[in-house]
Amino acid sequence: MKKRGKGIGSIFYGTGYGNGFPDVSNAIAELLPDGKVAIYVGATEVGQGAKTILSQIAAEVLGIPLQQILFVCEDTATTPDAGTAAASRQTYNTGNAIKIASENLREEIYRLAVEHLKINSKVGLKMADGKVYLNSFPSLAVTFKEIADTFSKQNKRKTLRVEGSFTALTTKMDEETGQGAPYWPYTFSVYGVEVEVDTETGLVEITKAVCAQDVGRAINPKLVEGQIDGGFAMGVGYTIFEDLGLQKGEMKNRRFSNYLIPTALDIPELEKIIIESPEETAPYGAKGIGEPVMIGVAPAILNAIYDAVGVRMTEIPVTPEKLLKAINKAEE
Amino acid sequence: MKFKTVGHSEVRVDAMAKVIGEATYPEDFYMKDMLWGKTLRSTKAHAHVNLDTQDAEKMEGVIKVFTYRDVPDNHHGVVLKDHEVFCSKKVRRIGDPLAFVVAISNKIAEKALKTIKVEYNEIPAIFDPVEAMMKDAPLVHENHKSNIIFHYKLRRGNIEEAFKKCAVIIEKQYKCGMVDHGFLQPEAGLAYMDGDTVVVCAATQYPHFDQLEVAEALHISQEKVRIINPAVGGAFGGREDITMQVHLALATKVLGRPIKTVYSREESFLAHSKRHPMVMTYKTGADANGKLLAMEAELVGDTGAYASWAINVMRKAGVHATGPYEIPNVKVDSYAVYTNNPFAGAMRGFGATQVPIAHEQQMDMIAEELDIDPITIRLINGFTLGSTTATGQVLSDSVPLKECIEAVENSLGIKNHYEEKMEELAMEAGVGI
Amino acid sequence: MKKINLKINGSEYSLEIDENMRLIDLIRDVVGLTGTKEGCGEGECGACTVIMGGVTVNSCMVLAFQANGKEILTIEGVKGKGNDKLHPIQKAFLEEGAVQCGFCIPGMVLSAKALLDENNTPSREEIREGISGNLCRCTGYNKIVDAIEKAAYYLVKEAEDNEI
Repeated sequence: MKKRGKGIGSIFYGTGYGNGFPDVSNAIAELLPDGKVAIYVGATEVGQGAKTILSQIAAEVLGIPLQQILFVCEDTATTPDAGTAAASRQTYNTGNAIKIASENLREEIYRLAVEHLKINSKVGLKMADGKVYLNSFPSLAVTFKEIADTFSKQNKRKTLRVEGSFTALTTKMDEETGQGAPYWPYTFSVYGVEVEVDTETGLVEITKAVCAQDVGRAINPKLVEGQIDGGFAMGVGYTIFEDLGLQKGEMKNRRFSNYLIPTALDIPELEKIIIESPEETAPYGAKGIGEPVMIGVAPAILNAIYDAVGVRMTEIPVTPEKLLKAINKAEE
Repeated sequence: MKFKTVGHSEVRVDAMAKVIGEATYPEDFYMKDMLWGKTLRSTKAHAHVNLDTQDAEKMEGVIKVFTYRDVPDNHHGVVLKDHEVFCSKKVRRIGDPLAFVVAISNKIAEKALKTIKVEYNEIPAIFDPVEAMMKDAPLVHENHKSNIIFHYKLRRGNIEEAFKKCAVIIEKQYKCGMVDHGFLQPEAGLAYMDGDTVVVCAATQYPHFDQLEVAEALHISQEKVRIINPAVGGAFGGREDITMQVHLALATKVLGRPIKTVYSREESFLAHSKRHPMVMTYKTGADANGKLLAMEAELVGDTGAYASWAINVMRKAGVHATGPYEIPNVKVDSYAVYTNNPFAGAMRGFGATQVPIAHEQQMDMIAEELDIDPITIRLINGFTLGSTTATGQVLSDSVPLKECIEAVENSLGIKNHYEEKMEELAMEAGVGI
Repeated sequence: MKKINLKINGSEYSLEIDENMRLIDLIRDVVGLTGTKEGCGEGECGACTVIMGGVTVNSCMVLAFQANGKEILTIEGVKGKGNDKLHPIQKAFLEEGAVQCGFCIPGMVLSAKALLDENNTPSREEIREGISGNLCRCTGYNKIVDAIEKAAYYLVKEAEDNEI
């Protein structure tokens, strides 16, 4: 017989290394001779979209299209240390560092624009599409390229380079009581799923799924959705498929033929709801989501299984054999 | 405030290269006069070892076999330096690296690997983290007096008094297994000399830390190491600890020629960290209205043969053990324990992924006992702006948990579903009478 | 050693190869087309998918000599010349955010192509079946399904426009 059930899993997740450890990101912003802007930062693009959203942050500050940003993150010889691409920290930590570096560059460009335009103040200057102009008299303008040229002539062909650095604020917790402010910011996520459990085979099929994900602010909504989809699939694998088959320290399942990760047929459509609640200390309010998006999946499925068949599965993965055994035991 | 690019679904800047097959991952680099490396790995979980590499070194096409003797500072690790680059006296897990064969072709390196004689003298091993905590358990690392490498304590309020006031108390133990990141691109790397600088091209999550680890192991200055981190085929925490970076760097520094290595899927499983399995024992209590009063949890995390990020993972697990709920009285003990299992480290969620398997089922059980639906119990207890966490941290900004719960409820109708189910059960019970 | 002749992405190759060389090694190491990826070496993950004689194969499971006299399409041959000549599948993958780490993408694009060559209006379920031999760990597949659905629409529209 097939039985349906619904379940929910709600979680919070604290970003960063935490516990007062120096959680530092450094970035360099450089005005290139052609008026484009290069960002140098040692933040890895692992597939999560760091290059794109970190470029978006710089582009936003400097009022230029994304295509005018050259993003360099692949080489320790040219990039400053921006910490690890982990702990869901790149958007918040490195995003902040890049925002600061870009703001510093913006200030430098304004300063040079004041000289170039021979005006008496930077007040009222605006930046858009690679130009600096006077808001009240827009024809008084200078391009980034012209500023780059002038700077280069005045500084022995050097380019205008500025740095930005950000350190997240956390505190070391008390050793005896664990009291303190160990992480910041916290991201929230809630999953709801409907499952169908086959009581004869023990197979669990997810028939409906929804995720409401706090993001602070979505720098790139499509990339956020992609992270949610991916986190969901990994969560499904964790809960009902994946098993290394450890026996006396040996992984019996260490190939993709026996360590089964979900295929396209195992993953249902997923409704993704982005909840925005900008965080004051975050770049444009954006919080990290890479990890939070997978955390609520397992408990939602487990609660739905209970709702469907009345057994509490306290051990994952819930393989068909384990579930069948539990169902049969409950019926006895 | 209106933004020009923030908030817009811009096309990924790296997507073009990826859809036309031009994105370069480390295995896509080839160099002239390049040599190939293969790693010999332990097949025993806990044993003293002796290597005889003579036959391999004599093989035609083999350039050199590297072992612990060749490593200036034979250690690495993200927190504790408890990994050896190549095991010197004993292996602590299946998959521990023992030697690195460098040859003129991948095939010859593979063949040579099989001619290395490894003498294993097995010693008692420990695979259960709870047993590993006991006083007489075999030690995985002799320089630690116990296999317990970390104990995080969280103490808030008075749980004994609070449990006395609870209308409902749920006690249960939960377990979650060890899993792999399963990123699609198995580890690969290429190293070469650029003047006197060692250049390692590998997929990593943290190039500047790899630079430091390579420099320390080779005993050279950090400026003489350069890490190139091209396209990375997924990571999820599994590329935090280094795998072949030091092997490649050492070989190219000694031999002066480019060296490449590409792991098979199986070797990838053996080489990188795993998610911590945990045993989580929970006791949670609430008053008759469903308000949580107390929670006690003991978390035991199996970090396998090496610490990797275990301290940070089990700390994060401990801090997140309550779930996103205000609980005035909390006691958590979270332990990280060595065993002879594959080593566990960072994986998406980092300890915060395991604990909801416990706290969220506890919530539903409490709700059921009190005949409260799963949504309401979470709304009663969930964090809001200004809430204080179990560590005493005040959530001063951006706490939209309730919006998230309500959005899911609006989509899935859990509350209604629960009420209907209760009515049905009541009817069935009525018929029964 | 064996002598074989084959066509890859329209170019003819005449090669002397080891009898036990795999097709993926020929494509990557000999011809230098590194867009074809190896994720498992046992035909489970589909990262090495290429189209051989009109059907998809896992190039890690095919011996190179078996490609003798065949025509092979790899990811490098999917788009036309010039960056504005993306295949509609590639265009849709960009637009729908179907790409993350990208390692599975060459195989996904080729599986999608083989599917749409056979069936130009697949249902979402048929799309899922069509890519069920291609593992992806990043995307959770949904945006890839979105992209292939959109590509099908582009291709049908393109065919209609050509008729006019």
